[in-house]
Amino acid sequence: MPNSKEEELTRIRKNLKEMLVKDLSLEDIRPEDIKDNEILFGEGLGLDSLDAVEIVVLLQRNFGLEVKNMDQGKEIFYSIDTLANYVYENKKGDS
Amino acid sequence: MAQGKDATKKRGNKLGFWFFQSSLRIFGLAGTYGLLYPVCLYYLLCDRTAVSVSMAYIKRRFKNHNAFQRICDVYRLFIQQGKNLIDRYYVVSGQGQFDTELYGYDKIKTLLNTSQKGVILLTAHVGNWQLAMTALKKLGKTVYLLMRPEDNIAVKETLDIDSEKENVKIISTENFLSGAIEAMDAVNKGNIVSIMGDRPYEYSSVEASFLGEKVSFPYGAFSIAAAAQCPVVVLLSAKVSTKKYIIDISHVIEPRYSSRAKKQEEIKDCVREFAAILEDYVAKYPSQWFVFHDIWKRNN
Repeated sequence: MPNSKEEELTRIRKNLKEMLVKDLSLEDIRPEDIKDNEILFGEGLGLDSLDAVEIVVLLQRNFGLEVKNMDQGKEIFYSIDTLANYVYENKKGDS
Repeated sequence: MAQGKDATKKRGNKLGFWFFQSSLRIFGLAGTYGLLYPVCLYYLLCDRTAVSVSMAYIKRRFKNHNAFQRICDVYRLFIQQGKNLIDRYYVVSGQGQFDTELYGYDKIKTLLNTSQKGVILLTAHVGNWQLAMTALKKLGKTVYLLMRPEDNIAVKETLDIDSEKENVKIISTENFLSGAIEAMDAVNKGNIVSIMGDRPYEYSSVEASFLGEKVSFPYGAFSIAAAAQCPVVVLLSAKVSTKKYIIDISHVIEPRYSSRAKKQEEIKDCVREFAAILEDYVAKYPSQWFVFHDIWKRNN
């Protein structure tokens, strides 16, 4: 039986957090320390534009997603929640 | 920071540009260069900020020069910058072209032909990078300039600094995440993205030795290239005679991460390699370094 949307989103959020900590080499941060609604860039988690470039690659590699529409970029990259929603709505492969 | 604010104050105005434009029509290129000498002398005597930030470079480049020689070096730097601007207008206004000798063209052409990806051009405020861009038209690729919009209207209108042309597009660093994702998208589509590598601006930076002291250089170009799996081609140009420029695109750096643990060190190596290329450049063309900013000063 397919997972419910909420279960799937929870799984994606967990994957995203693990991915960020591991692949962006975030020091002194554990995946569970990142809040779902925490702002990723600037004052929140403190990621910068170059981390964003790597997140784009990670989304492509892990979820088969390409982020092309920069008009949406600000909303997509806002937090783990918004990123997870974007992945849920658009993912092609299975993570 | 006060020093930074003053150093970037706007020096060109419409009257000044009109003066040089008219002179170019009447006296030609060489005659207009002659007018630079009194104008630059004025700046040498009256613009203490411009002299001070130029001196930051001159005293490191010419360690053995005495105070008087260094003042002369700054004067030469101002004159060369003036020639640079006049040359730019000369081309933009359609009054003529310069001879260009291109080093490394075949290498970059091969890189573009053998990969679906484009390349990142890493350049600096040396020589005449805008003219160098014009010479790259024959690559037949769209060039995306990742840059801050020019906010001096007189410069923007007269020198055509950031207007979009058929094969030149602008990605503003004021866009979301400093335009980094758009830059990567452009490279992934096989285009060329040009990035300035001499000052960090909005990008993260690492230190490398330049003219004997530590300087923070941005590593955005290398980070984007590593993510996009494309090469970084260093673009430098230099004026070698009244009507001739050389354009060097022969230096290729291939940033790759062998592991996450080594990522930072590998990026540093790329930045150090770029700094060494810039050092070679200023050794050959000491009066064509137009970074009017004290890049050695901490926390710039």
